[in-house]
Amino acid sequence: MELDMSQKKYWQNLGELNNTEGYRKLVKDEFQEDLPFEADGSLLDAKSPRRDFLKYLGFSTAAATLAASCETPVIKSIPYLNQPENLTPGVAQYYATTFVAEGDVVPVIAKVRDGRPIKLEGNPLSFINSKGEGTSARVQASVLDLYDTARLRFPVEIADKELKELPSFEAIDKKIAGELAGSQVVLLTSTINSPSTLQVIRDFLAKYPGSRHVQYDAVSYSGLLSANEISYGKRAIPTYHFDKAKVIVGIDADFLGTWLSPDEFSSQYAAGRKINQKNPEMNKHIQFEGVLSLTGANADERYLHRPSETAAVVLNLLAKLGGNVSAPAIADEKLKKGIELTAGLLSNNKGAALVVCGSNDPNIQVLVNAINEILGANGTTINWANPLLTRAGIDSEMDQLVKDMNAGSVGALLIYEANPAYNYYNAEDFIKGLQKVKLSVSFNDRADETSGNCKYIIPHHHYLESWGDAEGRTGFYSLLQPTIAPLFKTRYFQTALLKWSGNDADYEDYFKEFWIKKLGSQGVFDKALQDGVVEPETLSFASAQYNSAGEAGSASKVGAGSPAGKAELVLYQKVSMGSGAAANNPWLQEMPDPITRATWDNYAVISYAMAAELGIKLDDKYEVEFNKPVVAFTINGKEVKLPILAIPGMHPNVIGVAVGYGRSEGAGRAAKGVGYNAYPLVSAKGGFRQYYVTDVTSYVKTKETYDIAYTQTHNQYEGRVEVVREYTLDDFKKNPDAVPHYRQELAEDFAKKTGDFRAEATLYPKYEYPGAHWGMSIDLNACIGCGACTIACMAENNVPVVGKSEVKRSHEMHWLRIDRYFASYRNNTEGDNLNVVFMPMLCQHCDNAPCENVCPVSATNHSSEGLNQMAYNRCIGTRYCANNCPYKVRRFNWGDYTGADSFPDNQHHSGVGKLDDAVLMMNDDLTRMVLNPDVTIRSRGVIEKCSFCVQRLQDAKLEAKKSQDPAVIRDVKTACQQACSTGAIVFGNVNDKESQVYKIRTQEHNQRAYYALEHLHVLPNINYLAKIRNTGRPVGVKDEFAEKKAAVHHAQH
Amino acid sequence: MSLTKYESFVREPLVDGEKTYNKVTEDIVYTIETKPTRLWYIGLYISVALLLFGIYSVYREVTYGVGQWNLGKTVGWGWDITNFVWWIGIGHAGTLISAILLLFRQGWRTGVNRAAEAMTIFAVMAAGQFPIWHMGRVWLAFFVMPYPNTRGPLWPNFNSPLLWDVFAISTYFTLSLLFWYSGLIPDVATLRDRAKTKFRKLFYGIASFGWTGSTKHWQRHESLSLVLAGLCTPLVLSVHTIVSFDFATSIVPGWHTTIFPPYFVAGAVFSGFAMVQTLMLITRKVMNLQDYITIGHIEAMNKVIVLTGSIVGCAYLTELFMAWYGANVYEYDAFFKYRLAGPYGWSYWIMMTCNVISPQLFWFKKLRRNIEFTFIMSIVVNVGMWFERFVIIVTSIFRDYLPSSWSLYYRPSIYEIGFYLGTFGLFFTCYFLFSKYFPVIAIWEVKHVLKTSGENYKARMENLEKLSADEFYAKTHHH
Repeated sequence: MELDMSQKKYWQNLGELNNTEGYRKLVKDEFQEDLPFEADGSLLDAKSPRRDFLKYLGFSTAAATLAASCETPVIKSIPYLNQPENLTPGVAQYYATTFVAEGDVVPVIAKVRDGRPIKLEGNPLSFINSKGEGTSARVQASVLDLYDTARLRFPVEIADKELKELPSFEAIDKKIAGELAGSQVVLLTSTINSPSTLQVIRDFLAKYPGSRHVQYDAVSYSGLLSANEISYGKRAIPTYHFDKAKVIVGIDADFLGTWLSPDEFSSQYAAGRKINQKNPEMNKHIQFEGVLSLTGANADERYLHRPSETAAVVLNLLAKLGGNVSAPAIADEKLKKGIELTAGLLSNNKGAALVVCGSNDPNIQVLVNAINEILGANGTTINWANPLLTRAGIDSEMDQLVKDMNAGSVGALLIYEANPAYNYYNAEDFIKGLQKVKLSVSFNDRADETSGNCKYIIPHHHYLESWGDAEGRTGFYSLLQPTIAPLFKTRYFQTALLKWSGNDADYEDYFKEFWIKKLGSQGVFDKALQDGVVEPETLSFASAQYNSAGEAGSASKVGAGSPAGKAELVLYQKVSMGSGAAANNPWLQEMPDPITRATWDNYAVISYAMAAELGIKLDDKYEVEFNKPVVAFTINGKEVKLPILAIPGMHPNVIGVAVGYGRSEGAGRAAKGVGYNAYPLVSAKGGFRQYYVTDVTSYVKTKETYDIAYTQTHNQYEGRVEVVREYTLDDFKKNPDAVPHYRQELAEDFAKKTGDFRAEATLYPKYEYPGAHWGMSIDLNACIGCGACTIACMAENNVPVVGKSEVKRSHEMHWLRIDRYFASYRNNTEGDNLNVVFMPMLCQHCDNAPCENVCPVSATNHSSEGLNQMAYNRCIGTRYCANNCPYKVRRFNWGDYTGADSFPDNQHHSGVGKLDDAVLMMNDDLTRMVLNPDVTIRSRGVIEKCSFCVQRLQDAKLEAKKSQDPAVIRDVKTACQQACSTGAIVFGNVNDKESQVYKIRTQEHNQRAYYALEHLHVLPNINYLAKIRNTGRPVGVKDEFAEKKAAVHHAQH
Repeated sequence: MSLTKYESFVREPLVDGEKTYNKVTEDIVYTIETKPTRLWYIGLYISVALLLFGIYSVYREVTYGVGQWNLGKTVGWGWDITNFVWWIGIGHAGTLISAILLLFRQGWRTGVNRAAEAMTIFAVMAAGQFPIWHMGRVWLAFFVMPYPNTRGPLWPNFNSPLLWDVFAISTYFTLSLLFWYSGLIPDVATLRDRAKTKFRKLFYGIASFGWTGSTKHWQRHESLSLVLAGLCTPLVLSVHTIVSFDFATSIVPGWHTTIFPPYFVAGAVFSGFAMVQTLMLITRKVMNLQDYITIGHIEAMNKVIVLTGSIVGCAYLTELFMAWYGANVYEYDAFFKYRLAGPYGWSYWIMMTCNVISPQLFWFKKLRRNIEFTFIMSIVVNVGMWFERFVIIVTSIFRDYLPSSWSLYYRPSIYEIGFYLGTFGLFFTCYFLFSKYFPVIAIWEVKHVLKTSGENYKARMENLEKLSADEFYAKTHHH
């Protein structure tokens, strides 16, 4: 038989042979080109940007090859010998786990690329995250702590301050078990809310009779816990619901920044601040404080008081609300009036009001409880159904421990995640006591102040390397699962406790067993691990039985008050640094403080009035020079020399100093020597830490100066309404079209023929953006200025850290910054009339970008999707684009911050531009594991800036092409947007009529939508939504020019 | 009609003293053919030292990045571009003197044009350093060249004023160099003819391109000079116009100004003449050339200085007027709040004093003809012009649209200063070598005007002029 060659068919699989439907679909989708836009029909006919993508890909590859061949060091990457199951190199994996630190619990999703966790987002399944992905800056930055070079790489024994590696865990266990036997053991930890760990601890303590567990919080909430015991019979902290409150009063409580659970509170808070333009209403927030906090900066009204007056404020408020207390007279008229107004507002909003207080004095907190009781907050805005378990430290227990240690009655001290040698108010006593303890073991991850004084350090895993669990609220569980194998020879501290109590199980097994037992089956456990959280379906609300018996006693105890000195000192936490545990995190160190915009330091913040009194002129020179005067304060009889920063909104007699700085060498290379340790200034009153000092008896300006590296020199927006638009709620209601009217006028003035400002006010032809047109909307009303987006952006886009010395030279690299404006003039000391604006500023991706025109080599150019893009390989570094950018968002690589220089080993030089150790630390091979492989590392000499997370957009587009599902593109989020817990940032394809950003601009918020510097006709792709304040005081700028123009306009018609 | 042209006795002689063609040559080549003086060595050594420091400064900047300078996120250009514009401005006088004054038949240019042209070349060389080395990745500077490539091909951005600069400056430099060199050829031939050593013969022989002095050579030379002058004339105006576009086409308040092109050109001529004055006053003294660079020359240049200084002053005031009249808040603030006042207010007032107020003293003839005063003024003007560029560049960008990004106090780092000093080193090293090996005064051009405008010839002419027509005829036709 002759073979008919033409009939011969080759096939690769049965699908092809039989030509099944599934196979046909597979073939069709394999090289799908079209983006699945639903919007207009014309979009479907649009030219695909695939070619551009390939062009850029090809170009970058070619250029990278070229650059790589020029004597740059060869870095070898080793491929998998056996590829792990379910792992495709280059494709990220996501694991649900939980951020745990010093009691804080935030369920997160960790992005793992090629075995390395590189980015964290909030777990949207959790109520703790308000069912969103937003997180705080500290959570965002915690991924970097995993790769911290200061982490101990093996267990050590310390003799004469020398660290000696211990060979094996077995040897340690043997040694320590011997020493532990028969001694009275104290387990000193930060707040522990892990159910399985608590079980381990209970079992351990049972083995050593007379032993105890002391929980110690760096910043204490002991007063609140004790007060709730008095008022509600529960030594616990309720959950707060700021979203349910129409009137919010904060008294010394920075609940958006640092108080208790700011991630959660900020999203609740913003829910009540977002304006529905059809029915514009918002909550009213009143803040009483002495130092301008992030929370105070967002308040509608602020009243200032000294910390010693907190009790008086609370008492007066209580009395005004009908509480049965006698209130001391308040001399300050403004404060007095403020309390009256506040009381009025509160009593009109009973059941929808909330008063929170940051004091650690239980008596004050009892009185605050009384206020909340009158307001009907118990069970509405204060929820006792599932109390918060994130803080449990009781001050007196810690004090007792230190006493016992000094008395020699503590046989062994096991320390986990606590660092009293640094942050205990009387650290000297603690260290002295520690030396008297026979056996001291620290499980901290580094040889910090406390561990360095212990006998052994057996470092614990980082949370991203761990199995574990956390119960942030009663009944709300979150699980930890490792996202990477332990990097170093570290061990669960729980395993140590298990071993030392005679249980040979590893904690990992113990934990699994614990949860499978608790949840019922392996299947449920696996599902729980996948979700990361085990939480009730819905939130339940409950009140607690209130007992007013303590009110009178508390009122009489606080009534006395402490004598006020010449000035008073408030110790506060910075939003970035918190208690200082993460001080070796350069991202956080370099994150500008939301209020002062200072990085890499703490300092004394003082009022303008005090600056004047000190003879410090707040003139141009003060503004443009970093070297700030050093002032010698006499605090509690001790002289403390601190550089000052004068800011508005401070009580004239109050000084603020942040804790969390002044770490020792053991904390790490970035933390070492940064700032001043303010914990020794904490005092004790009735056994409770007090974070203020009442007698600052003198302050004198010295001749010394000190450089503070801050990123924003000028604090006012100088009436430039094209930049910042703000209105009062009443004004907005009365005249909701102020912004649209301005924009219409622009069109009338510059596009007389067609009224199309975009097309007519230029010589260039109008480009239509047929495919996607990316845009962003930022709601200034929702933005609280916390800075989480800044850190998220650094993590996502490999934004380099430059160190203090370079920030000082205006070389910081942040692609996204938060501009903070004080809308009161420089010498206006009436700080309680202060309006603060937070304005996230990033590349506006102008469609008529001034930077693009001027680049001689077209290194920055416009994509067909409206992105202003940077071809780093093409950039020759003339900086012309940066000069011509009206938003000043372009960042130049002044030095070799990343180690990606064309000249190898170029980071070590002295003299001008010497790089700080922190920068070198960031370039350690270990630290570089945090880099996002999807984003190029920029070399020295090129400009960089926000890319709208183009890597995410490309990824989403590829996914959308494959799946032909437009929802994929609708779901794409930029890193800043994802990290924003208040939902201030919305991103999307403006051409898609279903997209949120389209709806915001055209329907939902068109009355507030404006573009910064729109009159320049740069056509930004980011719009802002004007800020609305719920206040009666004048807000914004009197726009005389516009008024005149309007008058002329009026006269002409 | 006599072959000798008459020149009014009102006109000052352009060459002083009893001069013959031979004497002119002897006077001018004297320094070339003798050993240099100690003063020359000291000057050269200082210049070379500065140049070396400049090279080290640039080495630091290229190796470790632009972070070696104190620029930052807001002030992206500082001393670098200030110095660039300053040097480019200085490089305007030479071509103006040679080309425009040639076309206008200004005889007095002959005394100063050679040195002024040389100065132009060296100043443009110095200026060119800044845009090159200010780049973050200078090794990729060739990206600005429109050359065929395999990247697409990928062209430079023809919309960018920086690219226009590349073309404008390179064209200007090329033409200025050609003009200068073509003028040198006859004089180099003179040197060749007088050379006694083998090396000099070879060197000047090659450099003179076989010039024989034939009529044909002269005729071609004159034509070439005219053609080059014609080409250079628009360049004198265009180069600084295009440099000003770097600023004028941007959107930065204080840069975005339509007045910039004429304002920059006037400023350039102003500073260029001041620099010529500085150099000439030293040169004539050191090289004993007072007879060729006369008080008359100096006064003529002072007149140009007072004219252009007044134009510049007018431009300053116009800018202020427009900032007020334009009712643009950003521009108003840039000028009135942060330029006249504010942290850099002092630099504005230095500029005003040096450029506008003090040159007005040149309305007095006595001062115009006072050598010491002129010397001081020539330096004052260039200080003022440096500050003008500094004011325009730095005080515009240090506070622009978003107050959040307003800058700290910008002051240069040691290597920024070093780079600037280095260009002085480059400039003076070149000038010292030039003055040693080439005639600083165009010999042939001086000879060209000698018999009409030389003092001794004019003096003899005076007697003739006193004669009546008949007497004159009789005297000149007594044979």
